[in-house]
Amino acid sequence: MQVDAFAIRLRTRTPWEATDLGIRLCQREIRSVYRCYWAVALPPFALCLATFEIANWLPAVLIWWLKPWLDRVILFVLSRAGFGQSTTVASVWRSSDVVLWRQLLHSLTLRRLSIRRSFTQPVYQLEGLRGAARRARLRILRQRGGGIAALLTGGFSTIETLLTIGLLSLLIWFAPPGDSPSLASYFVGERAQFFALAYAVCYALVVLALEPFYVGAGFGLYLNRRVELEAWDIEQEFRRAFAH
Amino acid sequence: MLELRPAGLPVRFYAFALDAMIRWAVLYALAMVLMVLGGLGMAVLLIAFFALEWFYPVLFELMPDGATPGKKLFGLTVLMDSGLPVTPGASMTRNLLRAADFLPFGYAAGIVSMLLRRDFKRLGDLAAATCVVYRPVAPPPVELAGVEPRPPAIVLPPRTQAAIIAFAARLPRLTAERANELASLALQATERSSSDTPLTSAAQLAAVAQWLVGRR
Repeated sequence: MQVDAFAIRLRTRTPWEATDLGIRLCQREIRSVYRCYWAVALPPFALCLATFEIANWLPAVLIWWLKPWLDRVILFVLSRAGFGQSTTVASVWRSSDVVLWRQLLHSLTLRRLSIRRSFTQPVYQLEGLRGAARRARLRILRQRGGGIAALLTGGFSTIETLLTIGLLSLLIWFAPPGDSPSLASYFVGERAQFFALAYAVCYALVVLALEPFYVGAGFGLYLNRRVELEAWDIEQEFRRAFAH
Repeated sequence: MLELRPAGLPVRFYAFALDAMIRWAVLYALAMVLMVLGGLGMAVLLIAFFALEWFYPVLFELMPDGATPGKKLFGLTVLMDSGLPVTPGASMTRNLLRAADFLPFGYAAGIVSMLLRRDFKRLGDLAAATCVVYRPVAPPPVELAGVEPRPPAIVLPPRTQAAIIAFAARLPRLTAERANELASLALQATERSSSDTPLTSAAQLAAVAQWLVGRR
């Protein structure tokens, strides 16, 4: 690891501070993160929304299911951002076999159900370890920060729900005057169908906006754990102080 | 130099959730007691709800810790932007404006503001010129029992001294290879003694740290 190439000032951080570091990294690269993530995620999300014709609950479930797979694009951009490199859609395209298609089955099954997925994803995607070596690595990383990683997933999924309801509530706020439907009408009948579609669209929009921050926060946790284990912060400071 | 470390959305989400749970627990207990009073009890309960919702944070933020129980547990504190303790007016402002952060529903405005701003402020913090930061924690004292102090070979600036001391503090948790690899980056600090000693470069650097922390 080329510690002197980092575009981050390393120091000892608590795991919570590390999640903030990841969010800051995401904020700094927000343009390239959104550009790459949206370019890749919009077509599958549009297809997911089209399944509304099959069942009105299906789009949200499919989007939820695909999230960890599409998160790989965000992590790809953020890992390069850590070294101060910007990423374009073209570079995602060139690396698409690694970013999108490697470990595809794993992303859609076991990884989907992992409660610490944002924290452990870098091990799967960036470290390139396999089998026993990977399990040992994950065990060491989880010793500190593993609990926070689970809280992170729980927190962000709650925040996702809050924002979806927030966006949806705008529909009610801006509903034309005179038409004051009862609450029940949102769940049964013709209006319920419209409401289900609106929910799916709002959910898709919230995921498109929020997911990079979740991935970023988990990446921050991962980085901090490695800084701690391998004393990268001290290496960075020594290289700066004793540069020849 | 005063260094403030703003606290971001994930930790503040949980601090808030904990405070909300405490508020609801208090209300639940009150409701159990007040139920026997009928209509009057209901009136008292509604007043208690109002008071808890709006003044619980203000009360705790004006205490010496500057933090509600939830924030305290997560090591957070509320300060003015200047780093001074939060004033009563600012605390009122930031908490009354939770109503703005709540809009359109479920604190969406506050969440978006905290995600997009570098200092992780919500709207109430902006209006009141306050910030939520991590309370500074003193690092544990460096344990270097039995290490012979050794003066550094060159004059070291304070920041580098701090890095060498941090290195010594982390030494027990590093592998020997990694420790020596790191110490070899700082050879200039130990160079003078490196020829006439059987010590590894990590041990030599630890000896310099021992000298730097003042045990001479």
